[in-house]
Amino acid sequence: MDQGAAEVWLTRLPAGGVPLASIPLHDRRSGSCRRLEDRKGFRPDKAYTEQFVRNPYEVLGVEPTATAAEIQKAYRKLAKKLHPDLNPGDKSAEEKFKEVSGAYDLLGDADKRKRFDGGEIDESGAERPQHQYYRDFASSGRGHSYSDSSGYADFMGEDDAFAELLRRSQEARANRRGQDVHYTLPVAFMDSITGAETRLTLPDGGVLDVNIPPGLVDGQILRLKGKGAPGAGKGGPGDALIEVEVIPDPRFSRKGDDLLIELPVSLSEAVLGGKIRVPTPTGAVTMSVPKGSNTGTTLRLKGKGAPHKGGGHGDEYVKLKIVLPRIPDPDLEAFVQGWDKGKSFDPREDVRS
Amino acid sequence: MIMTREQFIATSGVRVQTLEFWIEQEWLIPDQTPTGPTFTEVEVARARLIQDLTSNLGVNEEGVDIILHLMDQIHGLRRALLEVHDSM
Repeated sequence: MDQGAAEVWLTRLPAGGVPLASIPLHDRRSGSCRRLEDRKGFRPDKAYTEQFVRNPYEVLGVEPTATAAEIQKAYRKLAKKLHPDLNPGDKSAEEKFKEVSGAYDLLGDADKRKRFDGGEIDESGAERPQHQYYRDFASSGRGHSYSDSSGYADFMGEDDAFAELLRRSQEARANRRGQDVHYTLPVAFMDSITGAETRLTLPDGGVLDVNIPPGLVDGQILRLKGKGAPGAGKGGPGDALIEVEVIPDPRFSRKGDDLLIELPVSLSEAVLGGKIRVPTPTGAVTMSVPKGSNTGTTLRLKGKGAPHKGGGHGDEYVKLKIVLPRIPDPDLEAFVQGWDKGKSFDPREDVRS
Repeated sequence: MIMTREQFIATSGVRVQTLEFWIEQEWLIPDQTPTGPTFTEVEVARARLIQDLTSNLGVNEEGVDIILHLMDQIHGLRRALLEVHDSM
């Protein structure tokens, strides 16, 4: 084949930025030049976006009169040299191989070749879809279960620096621990205090049973040993790292291991005292409101908070808030009208400026 | 992506008997799980290479065996070289 021509891979614009549509193309069989616009099926919008594709006869280095056997032979000769997997270190091999394969897709098929010679389809009609070659995996490390160290095994016995480097890198590779895998797990506020068992559904469809320890805080990371990606050799699998996102509960706030809840009480409960039900992480409990309680009066439920690290629990603090009946009550109004002590009490004596 | 045997056949277009032969020859080494072998994109790319070799490049079975063996050695060497390079 013509070596000079083979070195020119015409996928770029010629110098000077001449629009593609004005570049005369080589005529397929006669070798004379034709303008792109004059060709059958010319679409100016496509001509600007498509890559400039070489004549397939030229690509394979055969005469337009070549027989099918000659074309196959020419293709095999080039493909053996250019197949990307047979040239793992040559980045340009893929582009060249694509061009050669595209040309062979056209000329290797008698029917397509006839249609091409007749002008029914053009050079670009045979573009191969992009795909990943094996070398892309082998060099990134994912294909490493196939890679073989016998290519340098004879160096391994030597007692020199190079052999030592090889040995270390080989050992590290053979027993590499699997990677840690990160997940995020939303947890209800109550579950974060009391602990819970949940099942995490993984993106690949697998499931992971997660034991949420009591007293968890937002952003805490749980490590599940050995639940990450598998390792190689004696490396063992990596861990699953689960970041916990605590979904707030509008009723509660947390301060250290203590919980705070603001609880509405009626006027009569506050004035006369009484028993009320209070929500806690372990279920509602009954609490006594002392006679004469006020808005802001804070009561303590011992041991109803989050667990302390060293044992024991925090407390739940219940802050009372007096709420008057929603519908104004004439009796209450009448009572307060005649209640002189109530009028003489100044709740703002401390905040007056 | 992890594929079952059926998904791999659908993706790669390799025929069932051909696939069994390739696995027997250890040209492909799928992971063995309790539910059967599983395949990844690595096997798809490797299958494509074997198809290129046998159909387009006219290589026979013995040739594929030799090529894959040499190729796996080259990748082993390339990796070792890369790691030596990185550690220096």
